[in-house]
Amino acid sequence: MIMKDTDTSECRLILHNDIRQIPQLAGFVEAIARKASLDQSLAMSLNLALEEAVTNVILYAYPAGSDGLVDIEAVIRTGSIEFIVSDSGKPFDPTKTPPPDIDASLEERRIGGLGIHLVRTIMDSVVYRRRCGKNYLTMTKNI
Amino acid sequence: MELNINKTDDVTTVKFIGRLDTPSAQEITKDLEPVMNDASGTIVMDCSELTYISSSGLRIFLSLRKAAATKGGNVIVRSISDDVRQVFMMTGFLNLFQIEA
Repeated sequence: MIMKDTDTSECRLILHNDIRQIPQLAGFVEAIARKASLDQSLAMSLNLALEEAVTNVILYAYPAGSDGLVDIEAVIRTGSIEFIVSDSGKPFDPTKTPPPDIDASLEERRIGGLGIHLVRTIMDSVVYRRRCGKNYLTMTKNI
Repeated sequence: MELNINKTDDVTTVKFIGRLDTPSAQEITKDLEPVMNDASGTIVMDCSELTYISSSGLRIFLSLRKAAATKGGNVIVRSISDDVRQVFMMTGFLNLFQIEA
């Protein structure tokens, strides 16, 4: 597919805050990968970053037992792909999470904290905004 | 995700088949409890058919590794794909595990 500089293409997926909906991200990313002609390895990385961001929202944004939505938008541009994950849950800026010490020895290595680290490692830019009672996490990958 | 656990005298082989995403990790945590509780021998994590892993899956790997270290056991990660290896690399897991082809 040849895209001009001005060409953009958008896809959207809306999930409930139910962890069993996470597998739907794989098909969503697969469709985007096809559209943008991404290789399988990059598609897997994007799937992973998206899963980590969405899992955070599903597990922590809304009070336990209450229903809430996670809105996922993908914008494909020439040279980049942008994912915008938004929710109406409590304010939470994942970019403020301290990075894990990935060089720690086994004894000192803490279990957990890897989700947002993976998002930061895979994506080229990760920006959080709180606006009109909603959290927006915008993650961009240069392609 | 399908999980095959096979125990012989001193070696427990855990074979992961499919995608280890967050819901799969939650599902298999209970199945892995016996392996976690009896981590004094060698545990082989057969990843030849593991196609994807996220942080919830990594958490399981690290928990097993820590349980084995406490109980004098050993964890070998066998036959990881390039994609899964990449995730291990990004998270410093290559240094924590004995990786075999």
